[in-house]
Amino acid sequence: MSDKHKEDEHGHRPPAPMVDEVSDFEVLEMAVRELAIEKGLFSAEDHRRWTEYVHSLGPLPAARLVAKAWLDPAYKKLAVADGVKASLEVGVDWINSPPTGFGTPSDYCNLRVLEDTPKVKHVVVCTLCSCYPRPILGNSPEWYRTPNYRRRLVRWPRQVLAEFGLQLPPDVEIRVADSNQKTRYIVLPTRPAGTEGWTEDQLAEIVTRDCLIGVAVPKPGIKANAKRTVHPAVHPVHHDH
Amino acid sequence: MSKSQHDRTHHAKKATGKGDPQCFKGEAGPAKFKVGDRVRIRDLPDIFYTRCQVYTRGALGTVAAVVYESPAAEDEAWDNTDKPEWFYSVKFQQKDLWPDYPDLYANDTVETEFSERWLEKA
Repeated sequence: MSDKHKEDEHGHRPPAPMVDEVSDFEVLEMAVRELAIEKGLFSAEDHRRWTEYVHSLGPLPAARLVAKAWLDPAYKKLAVADGVKASLEVGVDWINSPPTGFGTPSDYCNLRVLEDTPKVKHVVVCTLCSCYPRPILGNSPEWYRTPNYRRRLVRWPRQVLAEFGLQLPPDVEIRVADSNQKTRYIVLPTRPAGTEGWTEDQLAEIVTRDCLIGVAVPKPGIKANAKRTVHPAVHPVHHDH
Repeated sequence: MSKSQHDRTHHAKKATGKGDPQCFKGEAGPAKFKVGDRVRIRDLPDIFYTRCQVYTRGALGTVAAVVYESPAAEDEAWDNTDKPEWFYSVKFQQKDLWPDYPDLYANDTVETEFSERWLEKA
């Protein structure tokens, strides 16, 4: 062990030296991308347009969809029957918005909106990889892609939800939706008490990404995803990113 | 499968402006199962690629929805889109997947999709 990793006189462990670090997957992506561009499968310009499109995505349209569904029973019916059509009203065209014009193998054009009731609570996972309704919800959070979440949610849904701070009584059916084929899911939670008379904007604010995945329920006053407590690393390595 | 002049853009041509799986609509023929049917998930060989999770193999479930037509993932992985199949959303009681799932939570369920080849009448 070199000197710089020893604790200093104040008992602090000084940070590891900063390095520009690139993960194996990033290296792999760059290599495959460059080969694909050389082979003419797509151009560098296509890649730039796609990257810009992906970076423009986020959970706001889905939150808007839920708020509209709470206010308008006819729209709720449409959302549950045809999520792709209902998405148009919140500015998401599953088929034509992505620069490809037909979705992608990760974002097939088949959104299903899972309607919670007081007795049924939906929660979404992709046990295979990390399928996620990105056109309407943006990129998935890190924890959604972890083997830990993916393996355990189908097996111990109540325990996993409890870790997110959501404990449900036994008479509520927990329905896990495993999105391992071409359907992508968002959850339409029940409208919480205390939101009577609220506008669409106010309602959309409390529908967080976690509520749309199903690991949280909307509450008046809660406008952000809960912070996850993280056990500090014993030997931390500091990154810039 | 010897396609000497393989067209790598055939999927894009077919799906542009329609979407996937919408572009396979009408290609699978009549659906073999209907909503409410009890089905068992088959345990087929899957040495190359599959999206049929092992935790569902052999389990009994109920067809919750007939969802769309598409080539099965096991074919599509090899760019074989010749024979689209019906896909079904199947609902399982957790108890039927994991025998030691607590009785207290007997209502809990999992819902996920299968192509027709994976289902047999129970």
